[in-house]
Amino acid sequence: MNKFLAIVRREYVQRVRTKFFVFMTILGPVMLLIVTVVPGLLLSKKFGDTRIAVVDQTEGTKLYESVRNSLLKRDRNDQMVGASGVAEAANANAKERLEQAGKSVSGSFSVEQVNLKNRSLAEVQTELNQRIGRNQLDGYLVIPPDILQNSNSKTSYYGRNVNDMITRGQIEQRLNRAISRQRLIDNGVPERKIDDLAKPIVLATYPINENGQEGAKDSGAGFVMVFIIAFLIYITVLLYGQVVLGAVVEEKETRIAEILFSSVSSLQLMLGKLIGVSLVALTQMAIWGLAFVALSVWGISMLEGKGLEGLSLPHLPPFFFVYFFLFFVLGYFVYATIYLLVGSMVTTTQEGSQVAMPIVFLLMSGLYMAFAVIRSPASQFAFWVSMVPFFSPITMTVRIVSQTPPFWQIALSYSIGVTSVVLLLWLAARIYRVGMLMYGKKASIPEVMRWLRQ
Amino acid sequence: MNNQSSTVSLESVTKSFGEFTAVSELSLEVRPGRIYGLLGPNGAGKTTTIRMIVNITAPDSGQIKIFGRAITPELQDRIGYLPEERGLYKKMKTGEQLKFFAELKNVKGKEAERRVDQWLERLKLAEWKNKKSMELSKGMQQKIQFISAVLHDPDLLILDEPFSGLDPVNVELLKKIVLELKAANKTIIFSTHQMEVADQICDDICLINRSRKVLDGRIREVKRGFSRHAVALRIEGGDGVLEDPSLVASVKRHADELEVLLAEGASAQSLLRRLIDSGAVMGKFEMIEPSLNDIFIAKVTEVA
Repeated sequence: MNKFLAIVRREYVQRVRTKFFVFMTILGPVMLLIVTVVPGLLLSKKFGDTRIAVVDQTEGTKLYESVRNSLLKRDRNDQMVGASGVAEAANANAKERLEQAGKSVSGSFSVEQVNLKNRSLAEVQTELNQRIGRNQLDGYLVIPPDILQNSNSKTSYYGRNVNDMITRGQIEQRLNRAISRQRLIDNGVPERKIDDLAKPIVLATYPINENGQEGAKDSGAGFVMVFIIAFLIYITVLLYGQVVLGAVVEEKETRIAEILFSSVSSLQLMLGKLIGVSLVALTQMAIWGLAFVALSVWGISMLEGKGLEGLSLPHLPPFFFVYFFLFFVLGYFVYATIYLLVGSMVTTTQEGSQVAMPIVFLLMSGLYMAFAVIRSPASQFAFWVSMVPFFSPITMTVRIVSQTPPFWQIALSYSIGVTSVVLLLWLAARIYRVGMLMYGKKASIPEVMRWLRQ
Repeated sequence: MNNQSSTVSLESVTKSFGEFTAVSELSLEVRPGRIYGLLGPNGAGKTTTIRMIVNITAPDSGQIKIFGRAITPELQDRIGYLPEERGLYKKMKTGEQLKFFAELKNVKGKEAERRVDQWLERLKLAEWKNKKSMELSKGMQQKIQFISAVLHDPDLLILDEPFSGLDPVNVELLKKIVLELKAANKTIIFSTHQMEVADQICDDICLINRSRKVLDGRIREVKRGFSRHAVALRIEGGDGVLEDPSLVASVKRHADELEVLLAEGASAQSLLRRLIDSGAVMGKFEMIEPSLNDIFIAKVTEVA
């Protein structure tokens, strides 16, 4: 036991003391932020307005005005996409003053009208195409004359960049809004009633449990929590899997293994290393967790101070959190022991990283299965998938949240997981000890099978 | 009860890896308080034998007893092992590293620290205690590894090629320590293919080749059994005597002396008498003892 603790202590102290650990602890969250938030920001950010010309062929260019207004007006979805919406709105005022005759400018679009004036559509299009070519225009809309009468009539958009899905979506949605509105007006619906009538309905959802009891209104928090768990497992495995692998290979690379094995068993060594690295992971995550909690408490109190309310934590039954924790720990150890196994078979860390690649795929497939499971959590598929130890940490939590399965299923799934961890650990220790005796050689599968029998 | 008196005893031990037999039907006895040389060419099975003794691998068949008992994890703590394949944690400080190795042999905190300091002092490495091992020269690292094998005051010390790559000064230093340990009644198994060193410090030897024992016993007896009746000579005159076929089988001329191989049935005494009678002036007359190296080469090539 003393020997085992010595191994754990060495592993822990040596790792926590490194500059790399301090560096990662501080920079980890920053990097996470960069990886998660920045792409979203970049995607929502559009540099400069999209300059659009509208060729309105309806009688008396009746639609232009409402299309223009609709394009310049933000809609609900934009608020979500545009994180910098406030700043843009402020800018819009300044830009408004630059407005020239016939041209309207807003945060994301500037719109101008092009009339046919007895020219043919083809002629006008040629001219507009040339303007786009000279980069005086980004695109134009062609509204056919019968758009208001014929519901099969098509509107076309021609543009330099048609791959910008966000802009394309905005145009489509806003155009749709303007045209539908006009169609309703033309059919005698009073203008002031349109907004009320077209208001989207609200669908409130209430869960009912296996005893037929109705639960509180579902906030979707469970769903979010599941993906937080999945994400946590994913990140932890990604961060520490390689560390576990490196730790196991270390004694082989430094050729200390033989010295150690004259004092301790390979199982003691493996377990000691696994626990040591896991404690390092726990330390790091605890630091991150505390920082996060402190920040959120500070943030919420700040917001409340400003008079914003209703920012309470999502309501979930406490036993969910117990399960979340248990399955998170299981998920971590299932994957950590797989890395351990890989480490026991290879001779260098580089080699190990290559062999370990499929592990990440295994992890990701668990995530994809979660999508299927959440749609039918009581299906055969969901049952079997939540029994497989590589997937159960994610799929079982999904089931627990969406439609809690009978306790025996949860217990069975967990036992299978724990058994797998023990088995993998034992296997890794055995392969490590035999493999250690042959330096500089990667183990082939038949060799490993032979070693196991030795 | 021979086992009772032996520190290590192997009884027809066999170990194979797949098709390859590394050790076959090996029996040997290592007696307490002696230095036992496990000799043999590369790949003879020395390291595999040692690994079985320290319980890293188990034999396929046969019996191994350490201190008269089958090996247990507790007994492992009484063994010090310096493997041929050895290293150090590169980024760990020397002192901490040694303390860690001591703890793995169940030497507790304070006591471990005391011993680490004592040994570092002894091997003139005290000022390197707080340096990472990657900053140490190869020779220094090797001395640290040596310390890790003796730190817990083992009753049985197993050294696999302990001196390879060390400079002569450090070889002498370690040799002195090994002899001191022997004087303190520790048993030492010394594995090498460098016969000169074995010649100097071993009491008993076991020569293995191609997984089998070729010969073993006290080094004196082994050498006596191998005596080739050769004499080293430096003389003036006496030429006629050396040409007598009843006395001399052959003469090899070296730079400033002759190596004379005596004929079958002739003795060194009679050669000496004949030379003195012939009036030769004697500069040197010495019986040549076979070196371990000679025996090693003779035995190994004989089998081949």
